[in-house]
Amino acid sequence: MSESSLRKATPGRLIAITVTLLILLSPFLWLLQMSFKTNDQILQFPPPLIFTPTLENYISLWHSAFSASFVNSLLSASLSTALALLLGVPAAYALSRWAGRGKHGLSFAILVTRMAPPIAFTIPFFLFYRWIGLLDTITGLVLVYTSFNLPLVIWMMQPFFDTIPVSLEEAALVDGARTRTVFTRIVLPMVTPGIAATAILCFLYAWNDFFFALILTRTNARTAPVAVVNFMNYEGWEWGKIAAGGSLVMAPVLIFSLAVRRYLVSGLTAGAVKG
Amino acid sequence: MSESGIDGERKRFIAFALTPSLIVLFAVAVLPAIYLVVTSLTPFQLTIPGSATDFSEPFRNYGLLPGDPRFVNSLAVQAKLSVWSVLFQVLLGMLLALLLNVPSRFVEFARTFFLIPMVLPPIVVAVIWKLIYAPDISPLYYAAQALHVTLPALTSNVDFALTSIIIADTWEWLPFTFLMVLAALQTIPDEYSEAALVDGASKLQIFWYVTLPFITPILVISGMFRLIDSVKAFPLIFLLTGGGPGTVTEVTNYYAYLLAFDTNEIGYSSAVTVVMLLLVCGISLGLVWMGRRREALA
Repeated sequence: MSESSLRKATPGRLIAITVTLLILLSPFLWLLQMSFKTNDQILQFPPPLIFTPTLENYISLWHSAFSASFVNSLLSASLSTALALLLGVPAAYALSRWAGRGKHGLSFAILVTRMAPPIAFTIPFFLFYRWIGLLDTITGLVLVYTSFNLPLVIWMMQPFFDTIPVSLEEAALVDGARTRTVFTRIVLPMVTPGIAATAILCFLYAWNDFFFALILTRTNARTAPVAVVNFMNYEGWEWGKIAAGGSLVMAPVLIFSLAVRRYLVSGLTAGAVKG
Repeated sequence: MSESGIDGERKRFIAFALTPSLIVLFAVAVLPAIYLVVTSLTPFQLTIPGSATDFSEPFRNYGLLPGDPRFVNSLAVQAKLSVWSVLFQVLLGMLLALLLNVPSRFVEFARTFFLIPMVLPPIVVAVIWKLIYAPDISPLYYAAQALHVTLPALTSNVDFALTSIIIADTWEWLPFTFLMVLAALQTIPDEYSEAALVDGASKLQIFWYVTLPFITPILVISGMFRLIDSVKAFPLIFLLTGGGPGTVTEVTNYYAYLLAFDTNEIGYSSAVTVVMLLLVCGISLGLVWMGRRREALA
């Protein structure tokens, strides 16, 4: 008997799972369907469950300042991801191969920098940015996100390097290769899947950020999450636009997290999504 | 001789690979922390020149804290929010994991969709719950109206505001505890429960005596992770209640935000933040200690 009699996919259980999933996701699905409704349909009572979907909300977002904030989000998330990988991947390799004392202490110290509540960084960053003129700039956002993603890169990449046998590298070294060459030609290609997963998680953290963008940007560098909230303040609660904006902000997240599902746990436990 | 040559070259490369990250982390994590502590010793307000370097009464801010009703209240609000949401998340996450712990292609496929709330941008989660709690367009209020029940405006009601935040926070982070517990459940060999079943144990007994001892460490650890991160419920509070009504949902994090970026009391806000940091660090150290114990067990 290979399968446990206690853990069986009985029809009753499958129905229970499906119903639970529908209940759990209903708030999310509600936002999604609202984004395809006109404002009249949104305010209608009872709410029409069957309606002709319209792209009106998305089209008006495309023509509004929202599209610029979407580009700001894309820029700051991808640039900070690239920078964090550039710094963090070699550091993770070094930590993995470093036999010296204090390795665990150092690893932990690096992680701690991620655990602090964002407000602890925001006040100093705000004052410093104000002083050197980085407020409301993409550069300013990229710097903050890089600093938040760097510990994540180091923590996520280290186990990938740990799985590569040192003997493999030693063979190349004995043949006269330099460590740098071994790293770029032999080790890096072997951890490409890890780098991809880490990159996506970094991108998501930066993309998901609301708090830093709220405080460190105004109009020029405003990101999409902040722009969505602004629909509530200045444009008189246009729920259609809010729903469409929210749906656009979550679209890349849903696509990417499906791709890195397997790495979500290690990524999230290295300091959960900041907010 | 060539051995030590390789060794030296390798050591230099390792140092070279590590140094930039350490410099950056020092600059963006350690220096701001020091700056925050320094600022907390001043009565710094952006509008008052010289206040950033006024160290005449360094511990004035800290002295004010115990007598500040909003600060004391904010700690209590945070404690309520953290304890209840972590409790619900661990409990519901465990139930969900038990429900989904079946070897089936369909269930494996479905699991991914259970993770959606956790990966959504926090501000989108807040927007979703803003919708659910908005009386004029919310499906919740439609349903209540259809059943002839009158719901109060949940987020602006003194009795329900914090509960509405707790519900939204639980929804957002339930997938995290679910994922952790599911991973732990899958490491339990079936033989144990099979043997217990043969011996005539009931399903509840098997859960209590076989399953629960196995997953207790992961329940504690995922609860601790959530506890540390529960101070980050900022977008929910920002969008749903703004700390109100009154200060019913004003957690310490939000109070510090208002102090620094609304009322311009940067020095005092820094002191609040330092205290909060110390509390989070204390909890984190507890977590590490427990993580070590778990490693020792494994």
